[in-house]
Amino acid sequence: MTLALAAGVIVAGAVYLFSRREMMRVILGFVLLSHAVNLMIVAAGGTFNRGEPIGKDLDPSEVADPLPQAFVLTAIVIAFSITIFMLVLAITGRRDDDVTDDPAAAQSTAGPDLPDPRWDPVSRRVITPGEEDDA
Amino acid sequence: MLPSLALVAAATIASPFLGRYVGRNSGWILAVPLAAAAGLLVAAAGDGVVETSIDWLPTLGAALSLRLDGLALLFGLLVLGIGAVVLAYSARYLKPRRHGDFFGLMTLFALAMLVLVLSDDVVVLFVAWEATTLCSFFLIGRSATGTREPAVRTLLVTAFGGLALLSAAVVMAVGTGTTRLSEILADDIWATDSTFTTVVAVLLAIAAFTKSAQFPFQSWLPDSMVAITPVSTYLHAAAMVKAGIYLLFRFSPVLGEVPVWQGMLVGAGLITAALGAVGALRRHDLKELLAYSTVSQLGFLVAMIGVGTPDAIEAALVHTLAHALFKSALFMLVGVIDVQAGTRDIRRLGGLRRRMPVTATLTVLAASSMAGIPPLLGFLSKEGLLEAFWDAPGAPWVGPAFAVTIAVLAVMTFGYSARIVLGAFGGPARDDAGAVVPREAPATFWGPVALPALAGVVLGLTPFVLDGLFADAATAAAGVEMDTHLALWHGVNPALVLSVIILVLGIVLVLARARVDRVLQPLDSPISGLAVVDALRGGLIAGGKRIGHLTQTFDPRRHLVMPVVVLVAIAAVVAASGLDLDPRIPGDSTALDWGLLAFVSVGVVCVIVARTRMAAVVTIGVVGFAVTSWFFALGAADVALTQLLVEILTLVVMVLLLRRLPWSFRQRRRGNRIAPGLLAVGAGVATTAAVLAFTGRREMSAAGEYYVTQGPAETGGANVVNTILVDFRALDTLGELTVLGMAGIAIMVLLRSRRALEPREPEPVIDTELPISEPRSNTVFIQTIARFVGPLTVVLSVFALLRGHQEPGGGFIAALIGGAGLALAYLAAPSDEEARLKVPHVVMIAAGIAIAAGAGFLGYAEGSFLAPIHWGYVGPVGITSALVFDIGVYLAVIGVVLVALNYLGSHLLGLPPERIVQDKRMRGRNREEAPRS
Repeated sequence: MTLALAAGVIVAGAVYLFSRREMMRVILGFVLLSHAVNLMIVAAGGTFNRGEPIGKDLDPSEVADPLPQAFVLTAIVIAFSITIFMLVLAITGRRDDDVTDDPAAAQSTAGPDLPDPRWDPVSRRVITPGEEDDA
Repeated sequence: MLPSLALVAAATIASPFLGRYVGRNSGWILAVPLAAAAGLLVAAAGDGVVETSIDWLPTLGAALSLRLDGLALLFGLLVLGIGAVVLAYSARYLKPRRHGDFFGLMTLFALAMLVLVLSDDVVVLFVAWEATTLCSFFLIGRSATGTREPAVRTLLVTAFGGLALLSAAVVMAVGTGTTRLSEILADDIWATDSTFTTVVAVLLAIAAFTKSAQFPFQSWLPDSMVAITPVSTYLHAAAMVKAGIYLLFRFSPVLGEVPVWQGMLVGAGLITAALGAVGALRRHDLKELLAYSTVSQLGFLVAMIGVGTPDAIEAALVHTLAHALFKSALFMLVGVIDVQAGTRDIRRLGGLRRRMPVTATLTVLAASSMAGIPPLLGFLSKEGLLEAFWDAPGAPWVGPAFAVTIAVLAVMTFGYSARIVLGAFGGPARDDAGAVVPREAPATFWGPVALPALAGVVLGLTPFVLDGLFADAATAAAGVEMDTHLALWHGVNPALVLSVIILVLGIVLVLARARVDRVLQPLDSPISGLAVVDALRGGLIAGGKRIGHLTQTFDPRRHLVMPVVVLVAIAAVVAASGLDLDPRIPGDSTALDWGLLAFVSVGVVCVIVARTRMAAVVTIGVVGFAVTSWFFALGAADVALTQLLVEILTLVVMVLLLRRLPWSFRQRRRGNRIAPGLLAVGAGVATTAAVLAFTGRREMSAAGEYYVTQGPAETGGANVVNTILVDFRALDTLGELTVLGMAGIAIMVLLRSRRALEPREPEPVIDTELPISEPRSNTVFIQTIARFVGPLTVVLSVFALLRGHQEPGGGFIAALIGGAGLALAYLAAPSDEEARLKVPHVVMIAAGIAIAAGAGFLGYAEGSFLAPIHWGYVGPVGITSALVFDIGVYLAVIGVVLVALNYLGSHLLGLPPERIVQDKRMRGRNREEAPRS
């Protein structure tokens, strides 16, 4: 019951964050979503038995289901790496982490649209437009 | 049969190296194994039909089944014999330099064709069929500049046919329950199920039509003659196009009587023969002319197979051989002329008979065979065609009508054969100023060509030597026992009369060739097949783009919201229709749970209303730590530990990045929040309802019970969750580990290719006069802590790693503890440069995945990948393959954490090393120049 409610509250928060225009908030939405999904997986194993599944002679009617736990454990680590990856996406944008593709809206709140810096393999350095002469 | 195949396979493997280091002369070397393989094939076939089978995909029921019968032998000999001649010819046609890819592809082509004709399994047949498609694509595409488009068109048309063949193979395999070709052909489904038979007939005919350039797919063949001569020779004479003919022969015993098969083959064959003949009469480029003549000759063959009587099949087989001989000779001779005279255009050639007598003689022989002049093999096969058409089944007028049609086309064949000879060698010699003076080619060049050209004469005079070969081949392709007696003289019969008329009319056509040219030149097809292929290709790509544009947006929000909308709608539908569920088991919540729920709810609300990024990052930690506590309460200590450590590391990484993003979020108007809010509430309600409906209604799963009761005994590990991760479901974990490693590498690549946003200017919150503003003094406290805690975390992480199999711990948790220690060391460093942890993190990721995979290979000692092995104990620690696996996990995870810290923590984010040095120098200079206050 409580896990179902918690999952519902967290999913609602995650979906709301998905609709915001900052990548940072979208990422936080994903972090919340993975919490919710992990709780759901644990709920699927049943929450009436809460004994640690550690030991040599275990009674299945007392300990928690270890299978969802194993799933959740790897899911947490994967979600961690995906979160870092998305964070990197957030900071490699053009101006900030705004995800809108409406140029008018973007222009009104930020400076001119600068082209990306690029790695020049000939001179072996990054060329940032507007500072080519700073060799 | 297997030695023959192995020999060609060995030649294929050796050919790229030979071509690279020996150059063009490897053509001669490679011709030897192909010729020898042909000999082995003949020897193997001496004892009748030979069958072998090697298991290949046992789960699919597909085996590398091979079957050598008369038909396979005939086509195998064509593939190997013509292949050997073409390779020997390439040795002088090619320029002296490296030719690794050419020889590699040519021998691979021969191997694929050989497998195709020998295969007794429809899956193998399909694979070999596609292999020939790809080989021809690469051979055409690599030939010269401007060959890319023809190669792509060839690939598209023939790959389309490949799909038809695949469909036919699937239908046949499902219908008969086997993929074995000989069993499929022997099945009685062909007689009982007419739908099945019709579907397969249409699919196979389409496949063969694309491969053998039959109407309406004929245009790729002339198009592909942009390839170099050896490639064109092989494509036209023995390889690519003969694969389609082979397929038709192979299925003729079961489909020969099917009306749709007969209609398609005879109709398309005759149309193609006519289109090809007219095309050949209009061309000036000798090679193009030959390409159209191939189209025409293939049309004869297809129509003949469509007639389907045993005599027709036999005649088609003989013509297949005759065509392979004269066509390969002619193509190679045109190549000789092209090399020696510098052009293939008959308007610029002429009078070469004196300058190139050997080439002229050979060309006359080969062209006469094509024209059907006695006593060459081509005459014999054309007689056979006429006779078989004359006797075609059906109404009494059908046969003669066919025969006359063929005769008309044969007159045209005579005409274009003469065009080749007269165009190149007849008339006065033309010596264009500045052009190369043509000279006879060396014997090493025309030598290989002489073989097929002379074979046409010898076999025409002594056709009885082929009786055995054709009797076996016709028996296999006609489905009835055949006894072949080839002879030049059949007595006076309709075919002979027609032959005489053909010769007479042919000569008339040649004499009137100037007028014929004038009539035919302006005829141009209103629709170009190539344009149709191109239009279809363009349309397909444009259509795909249009469909993509329907949902294409760079705004991730729309992609994220759509699935949620659909899921909520599904939930609503399910809820409305009602579900029949078991009762929930009571007692699933405690007082503590309600408290944690309150924490979670407060956290979620705080994240949503947070106005600054820092606030959002901090408050999401409330949710994270509440969930962590919950895992502890639910008896999942390992999960809780993992969540706790990930929570800490995520926070560290986020804080490292926050300075590159604006401080606060943008505010938006109240109206914009209603729709997302409603959707969010809908998703939340649907989630809660789904979790309530689908969970908590049964005791522990059978799998879970097995792990709990049997796991400790089977693995020797008491921590059941850990044994699932590293023993029972280790393959899953290995996959997840790889994803993790890829994410780490992707982060590095992303930061090297795209520069990160510049950090914001720090807002001065501290008086710059105070010592605390100086980084080195500022970090004294944390450095002191790190000095003690750092080594402690290392010890702790090794401890967690070693005990993971028995107690809470394991590779993931140990690595995250280590990662937390590294994060502390990182935060304690007074500057970015000193913080950089000089550990080869990529090597660690790679080593981790390699060690984990290696632990899997150790399992082969016990029978299978990742099978658990227990070697013994060192003190209390069990030495198992699971521990090795966990060490791999440990290294990979810690490598990813290091990537995150090193790449995201520095202000020099993602810059290459040279730039970092430059940047340092710049900063040093700026500091000196700054006025001291």
